[in-house]
Amino acid sequence: MAEPSAGPLAVSKNGNVPKAETSSKGQESASRLLASSGSFGAQVRQWWPYYAMMAPGLIFFIIWHYVPIWEAKMAFEQVRIIPPNIWVGLKNFQVLFSSPIFYQVLANTLIISGMKILFVFPVPIIVALLLNEIRSGKLRGTLQSAIYLPHFLSWVVISGVFIALLSPTDGAVNQIQTALGFQPVSYMTNTGTIRWVLVISEIWRSAGWDSLLYLAAIFAIDPQLYEAAEMDGANRWQKIWHVTIPGIVPTIATLFILNMGMFLSADLNQVINMQNDVNASTIDILDTYVYRLGLSTGEYALATAAGLFKAVIGMILVVTSHLVSKKLTGKGVW
Amino acid sequence: MSNSVRRSPLERVEYVLIVSTLLLLVVFTLQPLLNLLALSFTDPSKVAGFSGLSIIPDGFSLDVWTLLLQHPNVQRGLFNSIWMTTTSVLIGVMGTALMAWGLSRPGLPGRRLIFLMVLVTIVFEPGIIPDYFLMKRMGLLNSPWSVILYKAVSAWYLIILVRFFEEIPKELLEAAELDGANPFQTFFMVVLPLAKPALATIALFYFVLHWNEFFRSMIYLNDQTKWPLQVVLRQFVIEGDKIAIVGANNANNNIGLAQINIRALKAGMIFITILPILAIYPLILKYFTKGTMSGALKG
Repeated sequence: MAEPSAGPLAVSKNGNVPKAETSSKGQESASRLLASSGSFGAQVRQWWPYYAMMAPGLIFFIIWHYVPIWEAKMAFEQVRIIPPNIWVGLKNFQVLFSSPIFYQVLANTLIISGMKILFVFPVPIIVALLLNEIRSGKLRGTLQSAIYLPHFLSWVVISGVFIALLSPTDGAVNQIQTALGFQPVSYMTNTGTIRWVLVISEIWRSAGWDSLLYLAAIFAIDPQLYEAAEMDGANRWQKIWHVTIPGIVPTIATLFILNMGMFLSADLNQVINMQNDVNASTIDILDTYVYRLGLSTGEYALATAAGLFKAVIGMILVVTSHLVSKKLTGKGVW
Repeated sequence: MSNSVRRSPLERVEYVLIVSTLLLLVVFTLQPLLNLLALSFTDPSKVAGFSGLSIIPDGFSLDVWTLLLQHPNVQRGLFNSIWMTTTSVLIGVMGTALMAWGLSRPGLPGRRLIFLMVLVTIVFEPGIIPDYFLMKRMGLLNSPWSVILYKAVSAWYLIILVRFFEEIPKELLEAAELDGANPFQTFFMVVLPLAKPALATIALFYFVLHWNEFFRSMIYLNDQTKWPLQVVLRQFVIEGDKIAIVGANNANNNIGLAQINIRALKAGMIFITILPILAIYPLILKYFTKGTMSGALKG
């Protein structure tokens, strides 16, 4: 059990079970003994209660995660009202890849994800560095409990809050803007601003909570390093630059990779609540495209193909970045 | 931080700047919420002129809250949200704990294979259309159970619990076995009581997840009377379906809810939806923060 990473990562790092397992290699060969009939009865007698207890969970996993993988074969079929569907190979993908909307949607997804990596990702790191400078634990705790709150709100709620906040008539932002002599802007229905609304609302939701992951990494840094830096006469910024930041680079790398792995996601729940008739084309992402194509237009096969495209590329992204990170920092996503 | 006595003026200025930056972030975070909260309590006659910058109610009235809480759609939404969330949390916690217990036993045959199976679900999700067809095939469309049972056991929370169970001292389990306890008894009488903090954390994770769920409810539940609060809120505030809450008759004759400013109604709806989250927020801070921090520190 090794690496100090955090949060969804504390979680994902926990996922590192196959690796954490190295100590019990012996047990592995035990499971291979299943083949030899002599020990089989003993094995069953010893382990059946555990399997019985795991059964509900296992069944859930198979039904909700593995049966859909089988259902996804629809991407290679022509869906007919009267079954069975006809196998058409890659035809749906050909249709998909020759559709201009698909490329528009793909471009939107990449742009929005890119903007989030550039402008959202660094914010919690800065917040954590600032929080770490707060000397009074009480003050820090109060600040933290305030900025963590939005993480626990749904995107329906957050979108409702932003619609009010950005309202051209009564919203706080436009009231400040008009007081300063600028024209009000309808941010939610402006194709030039809506992507920035996604960025800002994502910061609003996650900057506080995500800083906790970095703060945890900062707290895990050996205090002796700071003492040594102080002895050398380092000031606040030198300590941050030479001790704190190097100390959290592995966490930054792992979280960055987790983000890269989700590059094709761009957050369906956020977009679907911020989308309206006017801004739809600018923030239509792969997920909303799949949703609309499949559940509104009934183009099931095409929608499944688009979803599968996203799933496969997404998986390649996660696994590749995991391996890269593993090689560079010794820490991965799981 | 032993040198707090002798700080240079520059350091003090720096410190003030750091605190101010964080306070700015707090204002940015809380102002939009407090504004809506104040709006929902503002005297109806003063709502029209209520500033987006204010965080104090102008006059005081409970009209918005009482009218909304008496509204059949809101009551139904609350009822649906509460029972669906509670059921999901119970199923989720039990299913996760039982599976994690088995998976935390080192010698379990097939353990690696099951872990691999769980990890695959984290990196590969075939998408919403196959999920939809699965629901259809199982006859769960338009049933609240489609939402309740959907991914009832989370791979992430499962892994957290496995890690927790792995750290239960072996001696305790062996002592139970020596006393003649079978694996079921050991689990229910030794493991679960020991795991209370971890189970509370998982329960809170599931609670927040399911309370905030709207997407599956939106696509699986056609019947509006089955909607949880989030979907009712979405219809009203995001899709702007005023009639759904105000009522066609009221709107046409400008009576009842139609007389209440729509901004205030929306603000009230938003706050009714997040009330349960606010109610358990102290618990969330305690368990989520500790869970995340200790997980991160132990590594």
